[in-house]
Amino acid sequence: MKKGLITLVVNGDAHEVAVSSQHTLLDVLRGKLKLMGTKEGCTTGSCGVCTVHNGRGEAVLSCLTPALEWDCQAITTIEGLEQGGRLAPIQQAFIDYHAVQCGFCTPGVIMSAQAVLNLTPSPSEDDISDGLAGVICRCTGHIKVKEAIRHVGEYCSDGKA
Amino acid sequence: MAAKPEDSKPVDSNDGLSVIGRRQPRLDGFEKVSGRSVFTDDIVLPGMLHGRILRSPHARARIVSIDTSRALALPGVKAVISNADAPDLLFSDKQPLLAKGFVHYAGEEVAAVAATDALIAEAALDLIDVEYEVLPAVTSLRKAMQPDAPQLHEWAAGNVALTHEKDFGDPDGAFAASDLVVTDDFRSPVQHNTLAELHVALADFTNPDKLHMWTPTQGAPMYQMALAKAFGLETSQVRIVYGNVGGAFTGRGRAKPHHFIAALLSRQAGKPVKIKATGDEEFIMFRGSGETQYRFRTGVSRDGKIRALEADVTFDAGAHAEWAMILWLPAPYLNWLYKVDAVRYKGRFIYTNTVPKGSHHGGIFGRLSAGWMQHLNHVAEQLGMDPAEFHRINAIDPGHHALDGSDFASCGLKECIDKVVERSRWKDKYGKLPPWRGIGIDIGAQASGGKNAANDTSAAMLKVADDGIVTLYTGIPDMGQGSHTVMGMIAAEVLGIEPEDIRIVGGDSDITPFDWGAFSQRGTFTTGNAVKAAAEDARGQLAEIIAGLLGTAPGNLQFAHRRVWVQGEAPEAPGRSFSFREAIGKAFNGVEGRSIMGRGFFNSPRQSGSLAYSFGAQVAEVEVDPESGAVKVLKVTAAHDLGRALNPLAVEGQLDGQVFSGMSQVLYEECRMDGGQILNPSRLEYKLPRTYELPEVEYILVETIDPYGPFGAKEVGEGPIVVTMAAVANAVANAVGEMLPQIPMTPWRLLRVIRYRKRRAATGTGAGPQVSLTST
Amino acid sequence: MLLPEHDFIKPRSLAEGLAVLRDAPPGVRLLGGGTDVVFNMRCRLMTPDTVLSLKDLPELQGVAVLPDGSLRLGAASRLTDLIANPVLRERYPALVKAFRAVASRHVRNLATLGGNLCLDTRCWFTNQTKEWRDTKGPCLKTGTDACHAIQGSPICVALNNADSPPALIALGATAKLTSSRGERTVALDDFYREDGIRHTVLEPDEILTAVTVPPATGRQVFLKETARQGMDFSYGAIALVADGQGTSTSRVRVVLGSLTTSPRVLSAAAERLVALGLGDDGIEAACATLRDTLGPLTNLYSPAAYKRELARTLLRKAVLALREMPA
Repeated sequence: MKKGLITLVVNGDAHEVAVSSQHTLLDVLRGKLKLMGTKEGCTTGSCGVCTVHNGRGEAVLSCLTPALEWDCQAITTIEGLEQGGRLAPIQQAFIDYHAVQCGFCTPGVIMSAQAVLNLTPSPSEDDISDGLAGVICRCTGHIKVKEAIRHVGEYCSDGKA
Repeated sequence: MAAKPEDSKPVDSNDGLSVIGRRQPRLDGFEKVSGRSVFTDDIVLPGMLHGRILRSPHARARIVSIDTSRALALPGVKAVISNADAPDLLFSDKQPLLAKGFVHYAGEEVAAVAATDALIAEAALDLIDVEYEVLPAVTSLRKAMQPDAPQLHEWAAGNVALTHEKDFGDPDGAFAASDLVVTDDFRSPVQHNTLAELHVALADFTNPDKLHMWTPTQGAPMYQMALAKAFGLETSQVRIVYGNVGGAFTGRGRAKPHHFIAALLSRQAGKPVKIKATGDEEFIMFRGSGETQYRFRTGVSRDGKIRALEADVTFDAGAHAEWAMILWLPAPYLNWLYKVDAVRYKGRFIYTNTVPKGSHHGGIFGRLSAGWMQHLNHVAEQLGMDPAEFHRINAIDPGHHALDGSDFASCGLKECIDKVVERSRWKDKYGKLPPWRGIGIDIGAQASGGKNAANDTSAAMLKVADDGIVTLYTGIPDMGQGSHTVMGMIAAEVLGIEPEDIRIVGGDSDITPFDWGAFSQRGTFTTGNAVKAAAEDARGQLAEIIAGLLGTAPGNLQFAHRRVWVQGEAPEAPGRSFSFREAIGKAFNGVEGRSIMGRGFFNSPRQSGSLAYSFGAQVAEVEVDPESGAVKVLKVTAAHDLGRALNPLAVEGQLDGQVFSGMSQVLYEECRMDGGQILNPSRLEYKLPRTYELPEVEYILVETIDPYGPFGAKEVGEGPIVVTMAAVANAVANAVGEMLPQIPMTPWRLLRVIRYRKRRAATGTGAGPQVSLTST
Repeated sequence: MLLPEHDFIKPRSLAEGLAVLRDAPPGVRLLGGGTDVVFNMRCRLMTPDTVLSLKDLPELQGVAVLPDGSLRLGAASRLTDLIANPVLRERYPALVKAFRAVASRHVRNLATLGGNLCLDTRCWFTNQTKEWRDTKGPCLKTGTDACHAIQGSPICVALNNADSPPALIALGATAKLTSSRGERTVALDDFYREDGIRHTVLEPDEILTAVTVPPATGRQVFLKETARQGMDFSYGAIALVADGQGTSTSRVRVVLGSLTTSPRVLSAAAERLVALGLGDDGIEAACATLRDTLGPLTNLYSPAAYKRELARTLLRKAVLALREMPA
């Protein structure tokens, strides 16, 4: 199909969206659903600022995947991390540890960090480095980003609460 | 009110300060971690069009003809512009906004379109017919300086755009009086700032009397002035909105062609137009560092005292000399670190058929230092001295008056050296490491703001609502460095309230008071002083009213912990003290009905240069794989004299980022050029280290409490990277036993140095490593 | 920049997918995880009329241990899932290391085995946006007889930059290629062609459906040299499989990746290692064969002289690592 209606379940809400084969998942999230938290960076898979979660809570690059692949799939964006109106522990840790500077990559970095915690609630150094290698944070050098993840890994047993 | 430097009394310790010195998380943290922060590309205006730019495919060519009619006929296309539509619109002095008659570099703006969607705009680019007559081009420094090189511009014989030569003292005499004179060559490459947020501009010029532009910037006034001049407007008719800025790294100091083009398209189409760089366009249009060649010469006496310093620097300016400041800056810089008899600087800008150059993170000082500090360590080794000792015995002291006229009221340079030597265990390691491990030390300085133009003013305003919440209006951009948070801390400290009580309004030139912006390391120092003055103005107004109520003099009042009380009495004394909110209520509900509003500004009283300089020393430790040429940075110990750490948490963040960027420039970053084209215009192929490559960083904050800085603070925004670059370069040089003739030290270049080293060890002779003039 | 317009087809079964390909219409592009194809489509390097998504085809999923002890890997298996697979982790550590060397987790969470095996060759004169390519003019791959990497080259010399082929070839893997005409099995070594344009033997109506890896015997090593450890294409990669213990061995397979247009099986080097053993003499003799085996090298992404030295370094390091391993 060149164009079609797909159902995307984003942050728990089902959306029926008209998309074309020309759209990536990122184009739909930002352009159609106006979920502007997910950023558009290099659009070639190298910078990671467009990172969202698939239904398994894994980090994927929304700029590198055709929107039509995602019919009836669940997606979580940065807007979906808050729980009951409260920041997720990883979000709070990013503030507390100054893991945020300019903030442009931050949504992608946080989604990557949360994906690490989803997979390994108490991540090793290698888990953290591997899980974050797909995003570039130009400001922090990832140093305080790693500290924030370590903190959540140590103090929040399941990485979520 | 105007802050005078002599009014800012030094504060000797953190005693008496309740907010300053605290590890304060960002005030905009919630917005940033939750995806709520709005960046320029997140803004969609009604009726907005998408702009695209047609760029020259040739490094040098004559434009025979441009025909835009087919593009204009494409449904959805609302405007197509070329030089014919704006023949007199100049981007810089001698540079038309859209190419006129000739193109001078691959990527030069030739035409542009605005269309209802991005795909139509892209398709329209293909329908603009441009006929070129290709001309011979000079696409590297080496080619441009050859005697028979084609000349880019008729006004520049030999392709020399500008020269700057300056002697301080008597260099010839000082060199003649030296016991040893050492000369070394060095090269640095084309490098790109790789900002997180790609270049983007959204222009609404539908009302010819007002140009609104949303764009990330390091400072609105320069953009306003440039756009106003180009479009025949007054400065105030241009509004720059820059709410969130996704990194700058010296890359957003000035408006670029796409800003002007977006405005022109908007005016033409009568609709707002957004232009956003694509991934590779970001590189093609960049204004980062150009190729640069250095020759350093130093004269020393036998006891290790530096007599004379000389640097000869040749810059690739690109096709236009847009940023002459980097040509001048090395001259003063050579004077800031050492007590010397004489200094000589010779610099020149050379035109090439490449994109005009600006600077990368660390400015000119970073890349210059990567070579200069290797050279000076080489001098130390020639003298048989420990480089740490060599830097120390020559280092300046507080109160030093430099040959260039700079004065250093505070200076912790020697303390920085001593501390990094101690903490890194330099003496146990230098010369004693196992093979292929290296350790390097160096020093650096950075000015905190300072005048290069008529003034260096920052202004600030604040209002206090009747609930005690303060709104601070500042034009200083926060591009990640945390300037808004630290301005909030300064205002809170003065008013005796908490940073969370401050709301920052920034990023809109229609609203915020004048501020040149966040470059030349002027934010904390200059804007900080302005904010402090504004807060003191507001506090003075409140103190007058409260002092009247309590029958004391305003100067006797204490403001802290959200309370106001009489010095010497209990802060909670009933009837003799107020909460800040109560105090504000007294003012607001008094007969006068006073709404408290403070204003302040700050400008350096010096004719030129800066009031304050930061200093640093760093030690880097590396491991080299002699078989693969790979380098691993193990640890960086960084001491920085920043006057006072207003927010240590943010200071550490600044150091982290600069260590990262510094090692990145020395080991990884390079635009690999081929005939004026960038072969690696992507975040994949333009290498930046990532999570695995980061070293351990140890921070040493040296607080010298500068008499002119706000609460004694100096810059920490770009001083450290200058030092990191040289520390890493020196550590690698130490590991392989040879100076690195160029950066970045890619595996293949390092293998070449190692091979040369082995050959020399085997034969006991040989010239220095060949400096490759190709990009590989 | 949006993707070029195309017809997106997501078949529900292999048969349905093969039917689309039956007439081998030109302009069909097979899509695995999309991380390479979408990138190239964005650059207008690929402008297919039809994109056939194979990612969710049931026949292409999963890891199965076959009766003879070999392992069948479905071509649409995600790299992430292969890395996590306990059988692979236990029996083929070098293979897991190779999969994990691919790009980043973000990419591997989308990318498939088939996609990595079919990863298009790369050249920095070609893998650029259309605007960029226009400045150089077209090349062999984009429609003329010019090569910007090696002037006058009759064939496209773009690099095979995938990390999993060297490891799979060294392990003796075979690929199953299926079409509506039937099914054939080729040694993965024979899957690749020395041509940067048609770089595999996959016919236009065929789908790579599975890879079979013979039972693991002996010691295995995978090494990758790159600018940075995460999210990078290799400057060079090597996979080495050998039996025996210490410096003795009777069977060696060694494959270099990313230096040339197809993964390079180092038969002559393997012979020397078998003949002379894995000691320093053997290493030296093996390295001496590389010049002839590798032939001319390009300056793509790294200089040819470095590539040549890197090949020797990788071979030496791989043997050193291998001989430290238990039998």
